[in-house]
Amino acid sequence: MLEMLDYPFMQRAFVAGLMIAVLASLGGSFIVLRRYSLLSETLAHVSLVGVSVGLLFGLSPLWMAVAASLVASWLIEYLRSVHGMYSDSVLAIFLSGSLALAIVIVSLAGSFNASLFSYLFGSILSVSSEDLWVMGIFGSLAMALLLAFFKELYFIAFDEDVARAGGIRVTMLNFMLVSVIAIIIALSIRVVGTLLIGALMVIPPVAAIRFGMGFYPTTLLSIAIALISVVIGLSASYFYSLPSGAAIVLVLLGLFIVALAVNRR
Amino acid sequence: MKFSPSLFDVNNLNFERHGNLVLKDSTFQILPGEYCAIIGPNGGGKTTLVRLLLGLEKPSSGIIKLFGTDQKRFRDWNRIGYVPQRSALVDGSFPATVREVVGMGRYAKRGIFGFESAEDKAAIVEAMELMGVADLSDRLIGNLSGGQRQRVMIARALASNPDVLIVDEPNTGVDVESQHRFYELLRTLNRTKKLSILFITHDIGVIAEDITRVLFVNQTLLVSQNPAEVVRCDEMSRLYGTPAHVVCHNH
Repeated sequence: MLEMLDYPFMQRAFVAGLMIAVLASLGGSFIVLRRYSLLSETLAHVSLVGVSVGLLFGLSPLWMAVAASLVASWLIEYLRSVHGMYSDSVLAIFLSGSLALAIVIVSLAGSFNASLFSYLFGSILSVSSEDLWVMGIFGSLAMALLLAFFKELYFIAFDEDVARAGGIRVTMLNFMLVSVIAIIIALSIRVVGTLLIGALMVIPPVAAIRFGMGFYPTTLLSIAIALISVVIGLSASYFYSLPSGAAIVLVLLGLFIVALAVNRR
Repeated sequence: MKFSPSLFDVNNLNFERHGNLVLKDSTFQILPGEYCAIIGPNGGGKTTLVRLLLGLEKPSSGIIKLFGTDQKRFRDWNRIGYVPQRSALVDGSFPATVREVVGMGRYAKRGIFGFESAEDKAAIVEAMELMGVADLSDRLIGNLSGGQRQRVMIARALASNPDVLIVDEPNTGVDVESQHRFYELLRTLNRTKKLSILFITHDIGVIAEDITRVLFVNQTLLVSQNPAEVVRCDEMSRLYGTPAHVVCHNH
């Protein structure tokens, strides 16, 4: 069983996957509590624009994905908070708009190739050492920001107005949160894929909330659920040659059903 | 407590929303130690006035001073405890225990990465005990009754040791007896903790003799320091736009 870890590509996949599991479930807790789950789905589609630009011009798709996702997250937050647009409509516009743009760019490139497929559904074979460096740098930054402002983000999720009245810099922190989410999503596309990352952000917190605990234990449980899913998913991907993202999401779904069954209310 | 001539000093405040005047040319002061009621009809601008004081809305014109400092330069927000109106309506499954919610009252005092100090812990426990919710400490906020949640929200506001407490419409959907108990509690906090209190109510019946000041808000603002005297039929009728029979019976 453990001999799969003898392969360098599997070592890289596990390092990347475990890192993403912690980041996605931690960041996901805040967007789930704010009824903002679709943000992850939308930014994942936007990342695809970055990937296709990268593939078309021979630039690093991962860097391009981070850039596209960040810029879109700021635009979305600007339209929502400054222009007061409904957040679900803004997300819907960005979701289909960016997918359309990505498809046009891919068509211009002339081929819908296999490497794009790996970005859609994730692939354990695809994590390069360079990807790990990019993930290490941006992932540490995202983690540091989430931990530094953990309690403020929680307060804002609970009651934005009272947090603001209490002197917490809500507007600045909201922009920070969407930026961190954008980075996490862009980093995840190697292992989980753009079409499936939403599940890794949303299912662990939603399943953990079913256990009716306070925020801190809920967050820890959510991280544990994400880690278990990634370990089982990646192993299944190795043994049965499945796309890693799909395998991880199916494990997540299984754990979610267990959480529902255990906590029937 | 630092010396401050007045908690709130508001001059010629105007507020428009989408071109409609919500609050017109309002001027008033609230001094330390006051027990002040904001009353007026629904949609009259009571909540807007409070949101303006808290910096949650920006005035169209006018000056707001908090503890003697212009609101734009004011940073000591933890001196003001705020209990919003919809505090009793928290989503049932939100993962937050009573202890965690009350602890939020201390967040602004802790720096980034800041852990709870012994002082934070003591303040949280004291606030929970004062509001009688200490035994609910580990319960989820969503599993409490409306009245219990209300007390938790006030405990959270008290945890930051504020100088003034602003409570928006505390008793929406609560029975008369609980309302009386609630106002008695506010009054006790006002007296024993030297805590200034500003509360919104649409229920004119709760106005008691011991209120130090009443702000009547219905687009325009009328201030009184002697509620019993000013709550008269003609004033009420002017504010509410209809003959205020209920109020007249009380006098």
